[in-house]
Amino acid sequence: MENSNSIANEKIIQDLLPQKFGRSGKIWTGILVAFCLVGLFAYYRQLRYGLIVTSMRDYVSWGIYISNFVFFVAISLVGSLITAVFRLADVHWSTPLTRIAEIIAVAAIIFASLIIIVDMGSPERFYNLFIHGRLQSPIIWDVIVITTYFFISILLLYFPLLPDIQILLRFKEKSGTRLHKFYSFIGSFWKGTPEQFKLSEKAINILCITIIPVAFSIHTVTSWLFATTYRPGWDSTNFGAYFISGAFLVGAGGVVVAMYVFKKAYHLEKYITPDHFEKMGRIVVLLALLYLYFNVNEYLVPAFKMKKSEEAHLNGLFTGEFAPLFWFAISVGMLIPIVILLFKKGRRPLPVFIAGIMVVVGAWFKRYLIVTPTLLHPFLPMTNVPDNYRHYFPSWEEWAIALGSLAGAMLVITILSRIFPIIPIQETITEQHETAE
Amino acid sequence: MKLLNKNIIGFLSIILLLSSYDALSQDAQKGDLSVGLNYFINNNKIPYLLVKVKTKVDGKFKPVSDIPLNLFLDKDSAGTLIGKVVTNEKGEATAIIPPTLKNQWNSSIKHSFLASFDGNKKYESAKADLTVGKAKILIDTTSDRKITATVFEMKDTSWIPVKGVELKIAVRRLDADLSVNETASFTTDSTGQASADFKRDSIPGDIKGNIVLVAKIEDNDQYGNLLIEKTVPWGSKFAAVNNFDRRTLFATRDKTPIWLLFMAYSIVITVWGILISLVISIFKIKKLGEA
Repeated sequence: MENSNSIANEKIIQDLLPQKFGRSGKIWTGILVAFCLVGLFAYYRQLRYGLIVTSMRDYVSWGIYISNFVFFVAISLVGSLITAVFRLADVHWSTPLTRIAEIIAVAAIIFASLIIIVDMGSPERFYNLFIHGRLQSPIIWDVIVITTYFFISILLLYFPLLPDIQILLRFKEKSGTRLHKFYSFIGSFWKGTPEQFKLSEKAINILCITIIPVAFSIHTVTSWLFATTYRPGWDSTNFGAYFISGAFLVGAGGVVVAMYVFKKAYHLEKYITPDHFEKMGRIVVLLALLYLYFNVNEYLVPAFKMKKSEEAHLNGLFTGEFAPLFWFAISVGMLIPIVILLFKKGRRPLPVFIAGIMVVVGAWFKRYLIVTPTLLHPFLPMTNVPDNYRHYFPSWEEWAIALGSLAGAMLVITILSRIFPIIPIQETITEQHETAE
Repeated sequence: MKLLNKNIIGFLSIILLLSSYDALSQDAQKGDLSVGLNYFINNNKIPYLLVKVKTKVDGKFKPVSDIPLNLFLDKDSAGTLIGKVVTNEKGEATAIIPPTLKNQWNSSIKHSFLASFDGNKKYESAKADLTVGKAKILIDTTSDRKITATVFEMKDTSWIPVKGVELKIAVRRLDADLSVNETASFTTDSTGQASADFKRDSIPGDIKGNIVLVAKIEDNDQYGNLLIEKTVPWGSKFAAVNNFDRRTLFATRDKTPIWLLFMAYSIVITVWGILISLVISIFKIKKLGEA
C-alpha cells in the first residue's frame, strides 16, 4: 500500500514539476518581450518629451493608463477570492487553482503600481507623494493599501510554496544549477517537520483572514478616487460594492482563461478537470449576474432621474460617442457570458474559456468607460479650447505602454509558472491521500 | 459691337451702383448713442458726475465703452471744463467738480452740467445736460434708536428745510442697502425732516457691533442723488469663524484631523503588525529547519 502511494506521489510530482519552455512557449514569451520592449520605447519617449506625447489634455487627464490601473487592481482581487475565501470556507476542489490565482494577483498588483508611476509623467513625482502627500487624500490611502496588498500577495504565494520548494530541490538536474540555487536561497530550510507545518498553516490562515479586508479596501479605495468627487458618473455611494463585484468577476474570468491555457500548455488534464470548469463557470455566472445588478443600479437609476449634470454623460454612453463601446462592454463583458454559462453545455472547458476571455476583454473596456467619459463632461462648459481637448483617443505611445504593461503582467505569470509548480504539489499529494482514505 | 458696348455699360453701371450703395451703407452703419448724466453728493462733500453711455442693438440697450466725452459746468467753453472722461466696459465714467471751478460753483444755487461726444467712425455725436439745485441732507439718531433725516436746499445764501422730498433710510449691507423697518421710503415734513424707528435689532455689525445707517435721495429731478451715512453701535458683534488653522479634511498635511490619524494609523499598525509577525514566523521556520 505504502509502495503504491509513493509511486502515485512520484507520478504527481513528475506531472506537476515546472517544465522548460517548448517551441510555443518560447514564441509566446518572445511575443510578450517584444510588446514590453515597444512599451519601454514608448515610455522612453514619454520621459524624453513629457506627457505631451499622450492624448491626455486639460480635461481628460486620466486616460487608458488609469483605466489599466483600475483593471489591474480589479484582477488582482482574484487572489483573495480563490485562495482566501475558498480556503476559509474549506472548499477543496479549488486547490489546483490557488497558485494560478496567487500568481495572477502578484503580477497584476506589480503592474498596477507601475502604471500609476507611468501616469504621473516623470517618475520622480512618486517621491512627492511621500513628502507632500496628505493623509486626508484617497490617493495616499491607495498607495498605502496597494503596498500592503502587494506584500500580503507575496507572502500568500510564498508560504504555500515552501513544501513544494523542498520537492523541487530534489530535482537539481531537471531544474538546472541557477534555478536550484534560487530554490535553495528561498526555501532550503524547509524540512517538512510537524512544527514547520504548524507554523506555516497558522501563517496561511492568518494571511487568508487578513487579505480579505485588505482586498476589499484596495478596490474600495480605488473606487473612492472617483466617488469622492461630485462628477457625473462617479458621484455614487454604490461605487465600492460596484467595483468589488466587478473585480471578482474579472478575476474569476482571468483564472478560467489561465486554467485553460495551463491545462493545454502543461497537459494538466488530470488535475484541472472539466469539473473545475463546471464549478468556475457557475462562479463566473453568479459574479456576472451580481455585476450586472450593480450596473443596473449605476446606470438605470441615474438615467431614470436624468439630472441635468448627468444627462450629457449618460446620453454619451447610451446613444452618443461612447455607445458602441458601452454596449460592447455590457454585452461581451456580462450578457453573453451569462447566456453561455447558464447552460450546462456552456460550462464545458472551451465555452468557459471563451466566456472568460469575453469577461476579461469586456472588463478592460468597462474600466475605460468608467474613467474617461466623465472627464469629457465637466460642470463648467468647455470654452476657448482646441477641438482635440473635447475628445480623447489614446496616442500610439499610450497604446504601446498600456499593451506593454498587459504583456508585462502576462510575462510575470509566464515566468513564475516556469519557475514554480503551477499546481501546488504537496497540497495535491495530501488531498489525494485524504481522498483515498 | 453695339451689343457688347451695351453690356459693358450695363456692367459698369451695376458696379457703380453697388459701390455707391456701399458708400451709403458706411454712413448708415453709424450708431446713435444715448448719454445719461447723473449728479451725486455723498456725505455733503465733493460733488461728482456719473455719465452712462449706451446704444440700442437689436432692440436692447447695451453699454458702450471707450467713448470720450467732455464735461462742462453751465456752458460749453474751455474755462468751464469739468474734465475729459472715457467710458469703461460698463459704459460709465465719473468726474468730480474740480477745485478750479470753485468760484463758479459758489456763484449760483443752481447749476447745469453738459456732456458732449464729438462722434467717431462708429457713432454719431451726442449730447446731454442736467440741471440741479444745491441741497444737503443731515442724519441724526437718538438713544431709543430713532433716526431722523433732514433735507435742506440753498435759497440765496442760507439752507432752508424742504418739504415733500422722498428719501430712504436704510442700513448699509455688503451688496445693497436694507431699510431700517418695513417702510420702504419716507417723505420730509414741513420742517424738512423724516423719521424712522430702527427695527433691525439682531442685524450683524462689525467686530464692535457697529453698523452704518444711510439716508439717501435717489434720482431726484431737482437735487440729483444725495446720500449721508452715520455709524452707530446698534448691530450684534460679529465673531469671525476661521477654519484656516483647524484640523479638517481639506487642510494641509500637518492639519490632518485627529480621528483620521487615529483610524489610519490604527489600521496600518494592526495590518503591518500582523505582516511583520508573519515575516518573523518565516525566520522561526528557518530556525526550525536549521536545527
